[in-house]
Amino acid sequence: MSDPSSGAAASEPASTDGEATGRDGDAVGRDRDATETESADATETESAGAPSDREHRRAIETERWLGVAGAALALVGLGVLVRQSSLVLAGAVGAGYAVYARAGDASAPALAVTRAVSDEAPEPGDEVSVTVRAENVGEEALPDLRLVDGVPPGLAVVDGPARVATALRPGTAVTFEYTVRAARGDHEWEPLTAITRDAAGARERTTALDAPTAIACTPELSAGGDLPLRGLTTVHHGRVPTDVGGAGVEFHATREYRRGDPLKRIDWNRRARTGELSTVELREERSATVVLVVDARESAYVAADPDAETAVEASVAAAGQAFSALLDGGDRVGIAALSPIDCWLPPGSGTVHAARGRETLATDPALAPTPSDDRFYRSLWLRRFRRRLPADAQVLFFTPLVDETATAIARRVGAHGHLVTVLSPDPTTAETAGERLTAFERRQRLRALRAGGIRALEWGDDSFPAAVAAATRRWSR
Amino acid sequence: MSGDGSAPGTTGDGSAIATGGDESASEAPADFHEADARPPTVAVVASLAAAGVAATAALIASPTGGALVGVGALAFLGGSLRGSARVLTWGATAGVAGIALAGYRGAPPEALLVAAVGLAVAWDVADHGVGLGEQVGRGARVRRNVAVHAGASLLVGALAAGLVYGVSLAVGGGQPVAALALLLAGGIALISALR
Repeated sequence: MSDPSSGAAASEPASTDGEATGRDGDAVGRDRDATETESADATETESAGAPSDREHRRAIETERWLGVAGAALALVGLGVLVRQSSLVLAGAVGAGYAVYARAGDASAPALAVTRAVSDEAPEPGDEVSVTVRAENVGEEALPDLRLVDGVPPGLAVVDGPARVATALRPGTAVTFEYTVRAARGDHEWEPLTAITRDAAGARERTTALDAPTAIACTPELSAGGDLPLRGLTTVHHGRVPTDVGGAGVEFHATREYRRGDPLKRIDWNRRARTGELSTVELREERSATVVLVVDARESAYVAADPDAETAVEASVAAAGQAFSALLDGGDRVGIAALSPIDCWLPPGSGTVHAARGRETLATDPALAPTPSDDRFYRSLWLRRFRRRLPADAQVLFFTPLVDETATAIARRVGAHGHLVTVLSPDPTTAETAGERLTAFERRQRLRALRAGGIRALEWGDDSFPAAVAAATRRWSR
Repeated sequence: MSGDGSAPGTTGDGSAIATGGDESASEAPADFHEADARPPTVAVVASLAAAGVAATAALIASPTGGALVGVGALAFLGGSLRGSARVLTWGATAGVAGIALAGYRGAPPEALLVAAVGLAVAWDVADHGVGLGEQVGRGARVRRNVAVHAGASLLVGALAAGLVYGVSLAVGGGQPVAALALLLAGGIALISALR
């Protein structure tokens, strides 16, 4: 329909055309929605800021007017054939639209974009309102401007679409507002996408406009009750009962008296009964080294329904509770993520370590609320993880158990002498046959893990501490 | 039908219940979904109004041609609700055929010009609405954008119709039709040369 050279040549009449239609549109706009805020947009003429950095994405012909010239010619031709002048006139109108479609040019918008958020450090679940203002600081009117804001993938828009379509004369601005629900993590807005078309809509240009905005959402860690650990411990004193006899509070065994045993641990009853000296051994309580592994592979980003929190969110929340509970109990705790992105916090203790752990769980990219695009290599991850894992460390593995890889990893880590406890948020539902099958498969995996000597507990709607308390009653040490 | 109701994530297929779905979405913010790709209501209404004008004008000129333009208007409504540009194209084709038929039957030029401009504006706004639905969705604020687009389209149509009608009056009714057509061709050639 148009030769390539006409694009540059058309720019001059395009601007005047755009101006005319812009003014015309204003009149129509005021007629139609006098009560709407858009009339306020048009009068809002503040100081022109500098245009935002822009990056041209693409410019295309929409080809929506394709065929209008053909239809016009057909009408004119028919009119000549049947000698009806009215048909020629109707065809001439079509020809007018064909000229109109070729006349305009979609200009790259010169917009000053500002974005304001109501809270830059919200709590998870808080609603944050976002206000975007785009002012046309260029010379040309924009008869057709569509703005799509680059909402971070981890945030859900809960009210008002983050999009607007309008028309802007030079110096006017459009403001739109929407609400996002804050989720754990650091969230950075992507550039605002501006799509401009000429008045006829025959040409379209997509531009990305920079307006850096970020919010950081770091949840508080709450201790989630006592998490029972298994008997693999360090040599330091702590709170995990072990099978080692020594000083402690709980009876473990008696043995023959050896010189140097403390007097208060001699079994005097037995001495009175049989005349032999024997010593009571008590269970030693030692501290453990624990590494919390959170399954954050793409397959773990599952939820019971589209609006529910994912299993990764549930895992991270539970890991946070476990982290502070174990740290308070004097154990050394580390964090790792089963994810394509490397995430490793070596086991440690102390307040600095607590702060670091909170930071890792909240904002580490490996535990982001949306999955990363990279591929996960199981053997590579396992090799690296085993190299880092201290020999006396237990592993608490938080995983929804949605595939065999999770069980295989739990078994492999367990086989290398680290006691593994699998803690599994339940993302399954039971509405359709397929969902029931998935739930069944997951239960089978849990059963297989338990049969293989790996402790496993799952929690669904009830809270993590409640599930731990319920499961602990069954568990031996 | 029960499957439709229980799956709020699916969009774009509930065209027949378009207005009903919108009501429930605005009432329950929990059901808010950004990806409602149907054309905005204001574009659909504006397109229907223009199509109604076109069909009425064509109906006055020639019942058969007017009926065809009416079919085109119905196709605009269907295409708008389904968000399908292809249906809109079929509607425009039917409308052009209707105008051709009305003209063949000897419709007066005034009615035919009004019908042609109305048809062009109706198709343009409906197609614009489909594009808006795809890019910004139904829930976004679009009134100003649609108003500017419809206004520009109407202005171009009115200018073109006024121009050709004025010329045809000025040169008088006695000229052969071929002369009008040649005049038109000359005008277009002139505009192309000026650009």
